[in-house]
Amino acid sequence: MNDDLTARLEPYLANVLGVPDLEVANLARIPGGASRETYRFRARYSRDGVEIERGLILRRDPPASLIETDRTTEFRAYRAFHGLGLPVPEPIALEESTEVLDRPFFVMEEIENCQVGSILSSNPYGELRERIGRQFFANLGRIARADVDEIGLGDLEGERDPKKCWSHEVERWETVIDEDEREPQPIARAAIRWLKRNPPPPAQKISVVHGDYRTGNFLHDADGNMRAILDWEMAHLGNPLEDLGWAIDPLWSHGDPSRPAGTIPRAEALAIWEKESGLKLDTAALAWWEIFASLKGLAIWISAAREYAEMRNADPVNAFSGWYCLAFHNKVLADRLGAA
Amino acid sequence: MKPETDQILNLSALKLMTELAPAMGAQYDQGMTQVVAALLIMSAQEYDRAADIRAAENADMRALFADLAPMVGDAGLRKELEAAAVERDGSLRVSALNAVNERLRRLLIRLQVHVEDVGGDTRRIWVVLKAMAARRALVLPG
Repeated sequence: MNDDLTARLEPYLANVLGVPDLEVANLARIPGGASRETYRFRARYSRDGVEIERGLILRRDPPASLIETDRTTEFRAYRAFHGLGLPVPEPIALEESTEVLDRPFFVMEEIENCQVGSILSSNPYGELRERIGRQFFANLGRIARADVDEIGLGDLEGERDPKKCWSHEVERWETVIDEDEREPQPIARAAIRWLKRNPPPPAQKISVVHGDYRTGNFLHDADGNMRAILDWEMAHLGNPLEDLGWAIDPLWSHGDPSRPAGTIPRAEALAIWEKESGLKLDTAALAWWEIFASLKGLAIWISAAREYAEMRNADPVNAFSGWYCLAFHNKVLADRLGAA
Repeated sequence: MKPETDQILNLSALKLMTELAPAMGAQYDQGMTQVVAALLIMSAQEYDRAADIRAAENADMRALFADLAPMVGDAGLRKELEAAAVERDGSLRVSALNAVNERLRRLLIRLQVHVEDVGGDTRRIWVVLKAMAARRALVLPG
């Protein structure tokens, strides 16, 4: 199958990049989540008499997606934040038709010699955790600080009314649960009602929300430099506290919730975010968004369970998400909401 | 049975993680194998406890319904709660327990909505929900 992909990708990229002698080599699938098929390959070509070889990444829509996400949004987010100087791979080409590779896809720069932290690991960053954590929360603050219109993303999906972005997101994920749940979810339903009965204050500003900013969605090198923020497929406009609540969710803490993302103490993480975002952190509002984060997680895991159970996408990651992650977030929400 | 099913699943996971995955050349294959191994470990946990979890949840929900039904003003809901409270699980097959569990969960959701709507005390309901979530939590190898 990889030979077939190579043969079809080669003329496409040669045309897009304007380099007729382009060759695609060593194309191989790599882990990249269940919502896109991800491949690594080498592109070799000459330009102005100079031989060039570079690593590129192909992200192709799967036959069925974990959450219906827009690869155009993802591509535009890569372009905007790469241009802003954040550690984000350079996007190369976007193809929305099904003519070239049967499904839409995009191509971007490969960030080489890096690794990704696994949520299965109890200590994915070792001695680098504090260095990585400071960059992790600083970069999230920089995403929050960016002016959505200045970076050309003012038309992304989402809600621009600071008073309504919370309800927009709750309704969005409630709809996902309505459509995808295969068994009654009393904790998710209770959480939805709680979120609606206890609305947060209006957003201080409307930002681009990455939508899945967490362990597993960024690359770091051996020196602890955060090199790439990935998986922008759920990017949208909304309250920047949504991303912060998701980033510090216990699911991504590697067993130690006092160190969000398995990195630095919570207070330090929040202080860095506050400084870099230029926003004043409202801890009561953040508490609401932390409940929301776990509810959003449940919605995603419920979708994953359905994808797997109905064999629309039998990626084992969907089985893991729909089982382990679902059980995890049910416990987080029950403990938090049941504590009152 | 010796060896027991959970032991087979756990040792199969160990084989995948320590021998087969490292020998695979492709990064994608290695990653997927690690996830499959995690699923086997979770399946081993579930093998031993699946029926117990569901039977305990069903018993908890029935006890809750028996406790709260007298305080439910909605006559139709009260009647359903009272009827569910005196039922007992028949078959211990997981599929049969699941079918009952789903029906009871639907009733639990309706009960909680009712109690919230009348401004009642939901603490007793949360005790059951917390126990349900705690029982179903899974442990991964560190």
